[in-house]
Amino acid sequence: MKKRELTFGEAINEAQIQAMSLDKSVFITGLQPEKTGNVFGTCKNILKKFGKKRIFPSPTSEQGVTALAAGAAINGLRPIIIHERVDFMAYTFDQLANWISLWSFKSAGKSKVPLVIRACIGKNWGQGPQHGKTLHSSFSYLPGIIIAMPSSPSEAKGLLLSSVMSNDPIIFLEYRALYNTKEHVDEKPYFIKLGEPRKRLSGKDITVVAAGASVLTALQGAEQLKEKKVSIDLFDLRTINQIKMDKIFNSIKKTKKVLVLEDGWSKGGYASEVITMITEKGIKLDRKPKRICWPDSHLPMSRPLEADFYFTAKDVYEACLNLLSKK
Amino acid sequence: MTLKEKLKIYYNLLLIRNVEEAIEDRYHPADKMRCPIHMCIGQELIPSVLNLFMKTKDSLWSHHRSHGYYMCKGGSVKEMISEFYGKKTGTNGGLAGSQELSYPKTNFYSGTILCGAFSMAVGDAFSKKYKNQKNVAIAIIGDGGMEEGIVFESLNIASMMKLPIIFICENNLYSVHTNLKERQNSKTIYQKIKSFGIKSSIYKGNDPDRLHDILKKITSDVRENNKPHFLEVSTYRFSGHVGPEGDDQYGYRPKKEIAYWKKRDPLKYYEKKLDKKIKNFHIINKKYKKKINKIINDAFNFAEKSQFPEKDYLKFNYQNTYSKIVKKFYSKNIQLNVSQKDHKPKPY
Repeated sequence: MKKRELTFGEAINEAQIQAMSLDKSVFITGLQPEKTGNVFGTCKNILKKFGKKRIFPSPTSEQGVTALAAGAAINGLRPIIIHERVDFMAYTFDQLANWISLWSFKSAGKSKVPLVIRACIGKNWGQGPQHGKTLHSSFSYLPGIIIAMPSSPSEAKGLLLSSVMSNDPIIFLEYRALYNTKEHVDEKPYFIKLGEPRKRLSGKDITVVAAGASVLTALQGAEQLKEKKVSIDLFDLRTINQIKMDKIFNSIKKTKKVLVLEDGWSKGGYASEVITMITEKGIKLDRKPKRICWPDSHLPMSRPLEADFYFTAKDVYEACLNLLSKK
Repeated sequence: MTLKEKLKIYYNLLLIRNVEEAIEDRYHPADKMRCPIHMCIGQELIPSVLNLFMKTKDSLWSHHRSHGYYMCKGGSVKEMISEFYGKKTGTNGGLAGSQELSYPKTNFYSGTILCGAFSMAVGDAFSKKYKNQKNVAIAIIGDGGMEEGIVFESLNIASMMKLPIIFICENNLYSVHTNLKERQNSKTIYQKIKSFGIKSSIYKGNDPDRLHDILKKITSDVRENNKPHFLEVSTYRFSGHVGPEGDDQYGYRPKKEIAYWKKRDPLKYYEKKLDKKIKNFHIINKKYKKKINKIINDAFNFAEKSQFPEKDYLKFNYQNTYSKIVKKFYSKNIQLNVSQKDHKPKPY
């Protein structure tokens, strides 16, 4: 029998519906999640199933709504707030940096803020400098918040269910480039333990580390590398600021080569963090570590320039071959 | 108003004043309280009266000048002083200090960064309505906080959603050292709030009995009708912006203005009033002072004797736990149960 396949958006939709069925303290708000496009289909049928107590539009007040969710979470609810554009989250930085991230710490662990902030990163087409940015590194700098970046439909479902049921605040970042990807997703609710990278491919030549949309690019690159008989160990970080590195270290001890992919600006990102951890660990590499990130520029809207801005499977392919070429 | 209620308010006023003065007195030269402390001497009126209308399950979210509210929401003086000492027995395990006092046991929260707590109180009120709890949230803010954008977002949300919340603005005329006149083009704040469709009123006096009647009406109205109310109260800070030292040497407040407000000291006013009205008040007063003195001495001794927190504070940043529901559904480990070969992502 053919296994059921869902898109990334459908998987998130199913995760939210299951979370809301499992726990009546889960509710959703944001800019019109229950209307028109349902945030890329991710909130489809939720109004019909659960009513307007459980899903409702917020005023255009990102900061106020983040505070609303935080206050509600402290009194025992499990809010999901959605920003259809991650850029709007810049309005909420006070709530993140001054309140939510330090809430558990400053109460010596006695009080918690279990909320999920979903936000979509514009990597897709034509988003330009306004909606093309990602802010994941700005968030991951803060202790006390977990930043999840799902890479595929089945990952998105498990990670979102775990995020909603986690007692920590989670920022859940979705690349638009992934919404139309499709794969088998188990129908039952399932949970993925946050903070543990997943080995997506097993190979022998190079260790590749990625998260979010760059995992897809890496998979496509790995496909092309087969013609050169090159295979990679591919790790999906899943959460970018709570990284258990053991398995990645072991892989690098074997391959002695590392490539990190990050769909975002390089400064202070997880790519630099991962490479630093490898260096500090003192693992001997036989090639210089390599990272592929975005250029230090805002995203141009113009199509050919945009195509030039994002790295592709071909860049991964070439970087891997370069790492393997003689010194 | 019963005699018992009047005495309770007086006791509250006295407790806050004496505890605050003790903190000022003992701060130096011991220098064992190593955190910035915002004193509320002069501003004891609202918490002292509000105390009579709060249930434990009501929540109170305060600005940084929070000690009065903390004590009147049932917070332990021992744990508060210990917190200032940075001891493990403090309200926040010694990790936060005066600026972020919190006491989940009595649903008291506070924070110093401008007015975030005010807005989170709206979320707390939302959750009370969502869960059909018959309780209210109380949000305390200053006149300075009322200039932040998030406040107006939150007032709109509270009004739109008809939330059981009481907003109280303590207008003490100063944001740090800058007078209201230099910051807002209006003498009062409450009028602006009316345009949000929120009932809004002001009290300009220093009489606890009068404020008692006002708060009695507001609290029962908000409880019954599940709608927000905004109350502005004029008040004045006698101490410096941040203690223990005063800051009037900087000359930011006219001497006449200070003298005017000190004449209207709510504690002294009420002490005189009750002395006239109640037979043998001086005996009761003496008893109260003795009792409070003991509370203060016990609190400082407790703080002195308490241990500093262990060095494993990193663990408090994350809960690293999940809802019980996760366990209920999967008795085994939380693990991905999608096999790797199932993944066949198609390019977009």
